[in-house]
Amino acid sequence: MGFPHPSHSKEHPLLSTHFGDAGARSFDGWVKRGGYEGLKKALQMPRDQVVETVKTSGLRGRGGAGFPTGLKWSFMPKEVSKPHYLVCNADESEPGTFKDREIMRWTPHQLIEGCAIAAHAIGAERIYIYIRGEFTPELKIVRAAVDDAYRGGALGGNVFGSGRRIEVVIHRGAGAYICGEETAMMNSIEGKRGNPRIKPPFPAQAGLWACPTTINNVETLSAVPHIINRGGEWYESLCLGNPKSTGTKLFSVCGHVQRPGNYEVVMGTPMKDLVYDMCGGMRPGRTLKAVIPGGSSVPIMTAAEIEDCPMDYEGIAAKGSMLGSGGMIVMDDSTDIVYQVMRLARFYAHESCAQCTQCREGTAWTTRILERILAGKGKPEDLNLLLDLAENMTGKTICVLSDSCAAPVVSAIKKFPAEFDAYISRRKQAVMVGV
Amino acid sequence: MTQELVSVTIDGMTLQVPKGTSIIEAAKQAGVLVPHYCYHPALPSPAVCRMCLVEVEKAPKLMPACVTTVTEGQVVHTDSAEARKARTGVLEFLLINHPLDCPICDQAGECELQNYVFQEGRAGTRYAEYAKRYNPVEDFGPDILYVTNRCILCTRCVRFMDDVARSPVLNVSERGDRAYIGIDQGQLLDHPWAGNVVDLCPVGSLISKDFLHKARAWDLDKTASVCTGCSQGCNVMIDTRDNTVVRLRPRPNLEVNRHFICDHGRMNYRWMNRADRIEDPMFHDAGRPQAAGWEEALPRLAALIGKGGRTVILASGAASLESLGLLKRLVPDDAVAAVQVPLVEQEAPLQGVAGLALRRERAPNGDGARLLGYGAAWEAAVGAASGADLVLVLDVALTDAEAALVGAAAAVVVLGTVQAQALAGARLVLPVTNVAEENGTFVNRDLRVQRYHQARVAPGMARPAWWIAAQVGSAPGPATAAEAFAAVANMIPSLAGLTYADLGASGRSAASPAGAGV
Amino acid sequence: MSAGAHSPAQEESYQPVFVGDALAKLEALFAQYPTRPACLLPALWIVQERRGWISERAVAEVADVLGLTPAYVKGVVTFYTMYHTHPVGRHFVQVCTTSPCNICGAEEVTKSFLKHTGCGELGATSADGRFTVIEVECLGACGFATPVLIDDDFIESVTPERVPGILQGYK
Repeated sequence: MGFPHPSHSKEHPLLSTHFGDAGARSFDGWVKRGGYEGLKKALQMPRDQVVETVKTSGLRGRGGAGFPTGLKWSFMPKEVSKPHYLVCNADESEPGTFKDREIMRWTPHQLIEGCAIAAHAIGAERIYIYIRGEFTPELKIVRAAVDDAYRGGALGGNVFGSGRRIEVVIHRGAGAYICGEETAMMNSIEGKRGNPRIKPPFPAQAGLWACPTTINNVETLSAVPHIINRGGEWYESLCLGNPKSTGTKLFSVCGHVQRPGNYEVVMGTPMKDLVYDMCGGMRPGRTLKAVIPGGSSVPIMTAAEIEDCPMDYEGIAAKGSMLGSGGMIVMDDSTDIVYQVMRLARFYAHESCAQCTQCREGTAWTTRILERILAGKGKPEDLNLLLDLAENMTGKTICVLSDSCAAPVVSAIKKFPAEFDAYISRRKQAVMVGV
Repeated sequence: MTQELVSVTIDGMTLQVPKGTSIIEAAKQAGVLVPHYCYHPALPSPAVCRMCLVEVEKAPKLMPACVTTVTEGQVVHTDSAEARKARTGVLEFLLINHPLDCPICDQAGECELQNYVFQEGRAGTRYAEYAKRYNPVEDFGPDILYVTNRCILCTRCVRFMDDVARSPVLNVSERGDRAYIGIDQGQLLDHPWAGNVVDLCPVGSLISKDFLHKARAWDLDKTASVCTGCSQGCNVMIDTRDNTVVRLRPRPNLEVNRHFICDHGRMNYRWMNRADRIEDPMFHDAGRPQAAGWEEALPRLAALIGKGGRTVILASGAASLESLGLLKRLVPDDAVAAVQVPLVEQEAPLQGVAGLALRRERAPNGDGARLLGYGAAWEAAVGAASGADLVLVLDVALTDAEAALVGAAAAVVVLGTVQAQALAGARLVLPVTNVAEENGTFVNRDLRVQRYHQARVAPGMARPAWWIAAQVGSAPGPATAAEAFAAVANMIPSLAGLTYADLGASGRSAASPAGAGV
Repeated sequence: MSAGAHSPAQEESYQPVFVGDALAKLEALFAQYPTRPACLLPALWIVQERRGWISERAVAEVADVLGLTPAYVKGVVTFYTMYHTHPVGRHFVQVCTTSPCNICGAEEVTKSFLKHTGCGELGATSADGRFTVIEVECLGACGFATPVLIDDDFIESVTPERVPGILQGYK
C-alpha cells in the first residue's frame, strides 16, 4: 500500500499489506497474520522444488538488475562441499529508493521468512543481512525480529523441527553506496574496503570467503514466502501482458508528487496511473517535467515519455530507461535539471570506490564541469565534452557506478538541452559561486 | 607434462597458448604489448586501471586483457578504434590531476604514463581552468618518497607489500578522486625488499632517494649483471652514466629472483665507482714499490709461480668463476685455496616468493669457488699462508692480523682492485677489474651459473684476474672471457662442455649433470 | 597529519576499548564470521559507540585484536564515511541533500541546521562542542524529504521551521 497513505484501488498490496501495522512486527503478530507458513511449507519441499517454484513464478531481482531469482539460485552447487551463504542486500542506497526500509520496519519477519526459505533452497546455513549503516531504526527492528525468530524456532539449529540449521547475522554497513553492489557487499562483509570484485568468478562459484554465495535484495526475498504459499503459477499470473515481468513491485515515489510513498502494483501498470492517480499528481499549479524511474542511475524520462509507459522491465527499457530499483524521482516544472544532474554527479563522485580510472576521475570531472556551468562559466563545447566523457565512462569499468553517473547526464543533455543552454548563454542567473 | 592449448587470434596473428593464459600474456607472445598499468606478472591482477581494455569479438563490451583468459577460437583486436578510444580516455583521466612535472621527475624517460600518452594521448587538455588536486610529497622510508600528485592508484605497491612482501603497511586511503596511497602512521617502508615498489611504480610516484635527481633515464647505459650482495645471485641491471654506476635495478629472471632484488643488493654498488684504485702493476725492488707495465710484471709473476712449493690462494667470494678457475689451474694441485665469504646471522626472505631471500652468505660466488676446489676454511688458509712459499691474494682486504700472517710467507702476490688491498710486503701488486668492469660468471647457492657483463671501463691497466693467469701459463691461455669460461667449465664435471652461449641471459643450473639443467 | 598521535603522553593516556563488555561483545562476533578480519566493521562500530570517533591508537588496537595491520584497518576506516577519523560534536547531524530531497528543499534544511546549531559551516563543530553538521548523500528515505540523522535518531520530513524544535532534544 502507498504507505504512508491509504491503499489506492489501483494498487495490489502483497508485500506491503501490513505497512503501517505495528502489530505485524513481532513474531507472534506475524504468525497471527499467516506468517511463517511459507517457510514451514518450503522445509517440507526438496531444495530443487523450491528453486523450481521460484523459477516458475518469474520473480526477478528487485534491487535493480532484474536477474531471474530462481535461475540465480540454480547456479549454486547442488552438493554442499563447503559452506554456502545467502546475503540479503538491505543496503538500499540508490537515490530515490526507500522500499526495503519500509519492508524492514513494518514486516521484518516477512524478510526473515524469505531469507530462511532462500537459505533452504540454496543449501545455506548462514545468512548475512547487510543493512546500511544509516538505517538505525530498521537495524534495531530487524535485530529484535531476528532474536524473536530464534525464540520462535524460525531460525536456529533445528528450524521448525526440520533438522535444518539456518542462522542470521546482521552486518551493519558504515556509509558506502557502492556496498549495494553485490561483490562490493561481499568484500564489506569480509571486513574489506567495499571495492567491487571482478567477475568471473561469480558469487555462486566463489563469493563470501570464496564459498558459493547468493545475494538477493530485501524486496526479492520478501516476495518468496508468498510465492511458496500460493504457488509459482499464481505469482506468474500477476502480470499485465508482458510475461517477462511478473508479480508485484514496490515503487518508491518521491519528489514533487502530492503523495510520495511506496506503492505496490502489478508489473505492467501504466506509469501515469502511478504518478497522476495513486500519487495524486503534481502540486497545485505545477506540471510534470521529468521522471527518473528506477533510482538515480537510470536515464531521465520526459513527461511525454511516461504517458504510455508500462512499468515493467521491458516497458521502461523500450523508453530508453530502466526499471532499476523502482525508485521514481518525480520532478515538476520548478526543477532545475542542470542543478539536479550536478547533485547526482556529485553523489557518484562522492561514492566512487576509487578503483577504476574512468570512474574515479570521470565522476569528479563531470561534477566540476556541471558546477562550472551552474556558476555561469560554461562554454558551448562543455556539453560535447560531457557526452564524450560519459562515453569513456560507460561500459568500461568493473561495476556500473561510472555508467550510473553518465546515464542521467547524457539523458538530461539530450532531453533538456535548453536548460543547459540557458546557463551557458548566460540567459539564466548563475546559481553557484566560488567554482 | 602436457598442457591443453587453445588457438587464439590477436591482431591478425593466430597462435596456440596454454589454456588459462590471460589475453595480455598471449598478446606478448604474439609480439603485441597491450598498454597497462595495474597489471604486473608477479602480482595479482585487480583490473583497475582499465588501460588494457581490448576488443574481443562476440563480447558485448571491451574486456580487460589482464584478467580475461583466452578461449578457443577467440579473436582479439587490441588496436581497434574502440580500444584506442578507451585507452585515450583512460590516459586523459589519468592526466587531469597529474602535475605534468616531467622535467623534474626521475621517472621521465622510463615512465609508462609518459610513454603511452606520447603514443596515444590527446595532444591538448580538456581539463583547463580547474585547479589540480594537490598533496605534499610524503617520506615513506629509508629510500622511498611518495609523490602523491603523480600517483595513478594502480596499487602495484600495495599489492607488492600485501602479497609478495607479506608486510601490509601500505593501503589505499579514502575513496573517489580523494584516494591516495597511505602508510600507517609511525610506520616506515623499511622492509628489506621494500625498494621494489619503486621499480614496480609505473610512474614517478614512488621514487628512490638514492637516485633522486641523479640522472635522466635516457642518459643511462644499461648492462645485464648479477648482484654481488649475497649467494642468491639475483639478476640485476647496472645503470651507468658517464662510466659511473648510478643505480642497480632488478632484471627479471623467473628462476632466481622473479622481478625483484632486496634493498641490500640494490644499494651495494658505490664501491664499484671507487677512485682509490690500483691502476698499475707494481713490484718491490730493494724494498721500494715500483710501477711497471704488464710486460715487466707478468714475467715476474711467471717466475714466482714457476718456483712451485707450498702455495696458498686467498680469494674474494666475489671473484669470477673464470678468475678463480684459471688461478687455481696455475698453482700446484695441493695448493691451499680458500674464498672469503662474509657470513651474517640472519637471512631476509621475500615471503611471497619461494626460494628468494637475502642470504647469510654475503658473496655471489662462494659456491662457484667450492666447485673449483676452494675448499679450505678461511682461517685455516690464512694460517697456512704464514708458512707458504707463495701466497696469491685476489681482491681481498685482509685484516691487520691476517696481513701479519700472510706477510710471513716467502712471497706474496696481490691481485687487487683498491689500494687498501696492496700489502706492504707484496712482491707484486697487480691491478684487477671489479665486477662492473669485466665479463664473467658466478655460481649461485642453487648452483646456477649466470653471466655478468662489463658495465664500465676499467681504470688504468687493470685486467681481469683470469687474463693475468692466462698470460703466465705454460701454453697460450684463453684470450677472452668466453674462452676462459669454456676452459674453467671443463675443470668442473657438472659444467663440462658449457659455453657462454649455453648460459644465455638467464643462466643455467649446474645442480644436475651438464645440459640437463634449465 | 597529526604527528602527535604517537606522542608518549597520548600513548600513556590511551585506554584500550576492548576490555570488559566491549571485549565480550567483540568475542561474541568471532562466532558470527569464519575469519577474524571479517569482524572489522562491527569492531569499528564498537569503538565508535564507545569513543565517538576512531583514533590512530584505536586503529592500532583494532588491528591488534583482529590480527591485521594498522594500515589495513586505516584503509577500511577511511573508505566508510560513517566512521569518524576526527572527533566530532556531541551530536552528529547528517542532512540528506541528494537530488530527491534536494528538489524538496533539503538545502534550506541544511542552512537552518547550520544556523541554529551555530556550526556555521559544514563539517565544523559548534563552539560549545554540541553539534557537527554535515550534508550526507542519500539517506534512503526519499519519500520523507528531508530526512535527517542525528546520532542514531532518524527524523523524517524535516523542514527548516522544525529545526529549532528538533535541536531542543539534544543537549
